[in-house]
Amino acid sequence: MTFPFSIACFTKLRKTSITFIAVLITALAPAIARAQFLHPKISKKETTIRNVVILPAKVSVVRDSMKGPEGMAAESEELSGRVEKVLAAILEKQKNVKTLNTPSAASGEGDAQQKYSIADFQTKFDDLLPRIMKKRSDVKKGRFTMGDEVLNLNLDKRVDAVVFIRGQGQKLTGGKSAFVLLVGGAPAYLKMQIGVIDARTGEVLLYTDPLFAGDPTTAVDRLRKALDKGFKKLPVVTVQ
Amino acid sequence: MSTLKTRSLIAFALCFCVALTYVAPAALAQKKTAPVEATPPPVREEFKFGKVDLEVLEQVNLLDRRFERDGMVLEDEATNAYLFRIGQALIPKGLTLENVSWKFRALRDPQPNAFALPNGSVYVTTGLLSLIDNESELAAIIAHELTHVMRRHTYVQNRSNRKKFLTMNVMAAVGAYAPGGIVGAAITAITMIAPFIIVATIFGYSRDLEREADLKGIDMMISAEYSPEEMVNVMKVLDRDIEGENIRLFYNDHPALRERISYLSSYLGARADRVTPQMELNREKSAYFRAMEPMMRHDVQLQIKGGRFRSAVYIAQRLVDFHPDSENLFWLAEAYRTLGPRAPQLTESELTNSAKKDAAKKHEKRTDEEIERELLATPAGQENWKTHRQRSEELYQRSLAAENPVAMAHRGLGMLYEKLEKKTEALAEYEKYLASAPAATDQERIQRRIENLRRPPQ
Repeated sequence: MTFPFSIACFTKLRKTSITFIAVLITALAPAIARAQFLHPKISKKETTIRNVVILPAKVSVVRDSMKGPEGMAAESEELSGRVEKVLAAILEKQKNVKTLNTPSAASGEGDAQQKYSIADFQTKFDDLLPRIMKKRSDVKKGRFTMGDEVLNLNLDKRVDAVVFIRGQGQKLTGGKSAFVLLVGGAPAYLKMQIGVIDARTGEVLLYTDPLFAGDPTTAVDRLRKALDKGFKKLPVVTVQ
Repeated sequence: MSTLKTRSLIAFALCFCVALTYVAPAALAQKKTAPVEATPPPVREEFKFGKVDLEVLEQVNLLDRRFERDGMVLEDEATNAYLFRIGQALIPKGLTLENVSWKFRALRDPQPNAFALPNGSVYVTTGLLSLIDNESELAAIIAHELTHVMRRHTYVQNRSNRKKFLTMNVMAAVGAYAPGGIVGAAITAITMIAPFIIVATIFGYSRDLEREADLKGIDMMISAEYSPEEMVNVMKVLDRDIEGENIRLFYNDHPALRERISYLSSYLGARADRVTPQMELNREKSAYFRAMEPMMRHDVQLQIKGGRFRSAVYIAQRLVDFHPDSENLFWLAEAYRTLGPRAPQLTESELTNSAKKDAAKKHEKRTDEEIERELLATPAGQENWKTHRQRSEELYQRSLAAENPVAMAHRGLGMLYEKLEKKTEALAEYEKYLASAPAATDQERIQRRIENLRRPPQ
């Protein structure tokens, strides 16, 4: 006698679904760009973003092994820099948006007060981010703002927007990759959250969260594609 | 009969695993509890660095540099020198540890916390430094953190966690390929429950290490002539929970604060009665406040920026009670203005665990501005705002009337009047601010506010 759903049947079903998910992830692997949300000022073209400043990105990756996750501080630093550069290039080529040199305050160099201003503003974005992520579509209603404290950064007068980049990812060791294939689990990936803030009012003008599957430390093309898709809706600036 | 047998076996397996979930952490915790004897220095002599430990060390060295570069370390020489002096007094004389270089620094974070990296960097947040009363309490915090470094807790825990993660993964693999039938059912059940047991042991072990750090910390305090009962007082400070954020979870990596107070008190016993003149000196409140005043002002600013308005009022009030000068009065005024319609203290019912969880969820969904608008729609909120705006206005005025008035008080008054829609008064205060602080970094921000106020309504 057996149960209506036997344990063997349950195990088979589980194996099949794991394999299906693994195949699905592999098929979608190159770049899964998530939705983008534009502030009405941008979608109605009341505001045009011509020049931006990209604040130092905070992207962290871990190496997931069979013995648990291990930090990759140096690789995370390198990846943060790469994301900034790739995004600047995409904005310039695809949207005609110039990335202006980060002033000493924004790059975290210079005196303590300058460092504090930028650090506090980065923290403010980190505080706001979970609320944006909870209801991303509200960016379209113009619900989120970081306030006029943005002016305390004393950026170049030409700057229209400030870009914040956050990211979390993981790469897998050989053993863990095999484990994921056989048993299931999260593949190597990089997920980013990017906010574009009005440099005068602090309003969140754009929010996008590009994602791609693959080793975040080496998959430069996938990163480029994901970022490209992530900014697809941002209007192109007409060069005068 | 066969079905019955199978079912009872599965039921037995499940019961066994559930029982193990409760029993195992306690049993393992007992096994792993380090014996605590009053024999400083609390160094783990037998520790030898392996490849994995050196990798951890490399990671934390980078983290250390990142804290500095990202403006998270308070670059105030006086504060950091004060922390260093206390740290040096606690470290046993002549002690050198492989791969440890002692650094003691204040971290610009309004949340009360302290931690040590295994490379010897000890960080105490400005949020915690602002809540404590004297040097001995600070010594208690540092002594606790020093023990983590000396006993190599990070490395030990990392090694232990790696073994546990490996076990979890192996069990998951076994579970995924379990055969059918009774044996398969039992294996599947065990592999489903096992991760919970392992996670419980991870947290249990972490709590043991914390306990060891508390008790060894007391020994170090006595050796350095700091009153050991201040360790208990620090726990009481941490238990205060001004913001209602100490939420008890199913698993916690630190023992409950009440439990810590209890075992520390019993460990202290009669030793708490022995007080030397130096110990008395180290408990002096005014000396601590004199050394920490600039740092505390900085922290009030961070508390406000971090939306921790109740803490801002509490700390600024401590500053004013100690030294009611123009700057401290200004920060208290700022704290009251930004507190807005919120109550200055949480009620008993708001401090229950479930109420705190609900508040945290609500906070995640709403912005500070939205919360404020909601409160202003209630009679209690309106009453609070009325009291707080009167209080802040009075404090700004007192700040401006004090000796060497700070220009920022004009800015604060301007912001208060702008919120109250008193345009003329707001404009006048902003202009006074711009005139008296021509080098201020927020000139552009205030200039823009003036322009907006002058703009005719559309």
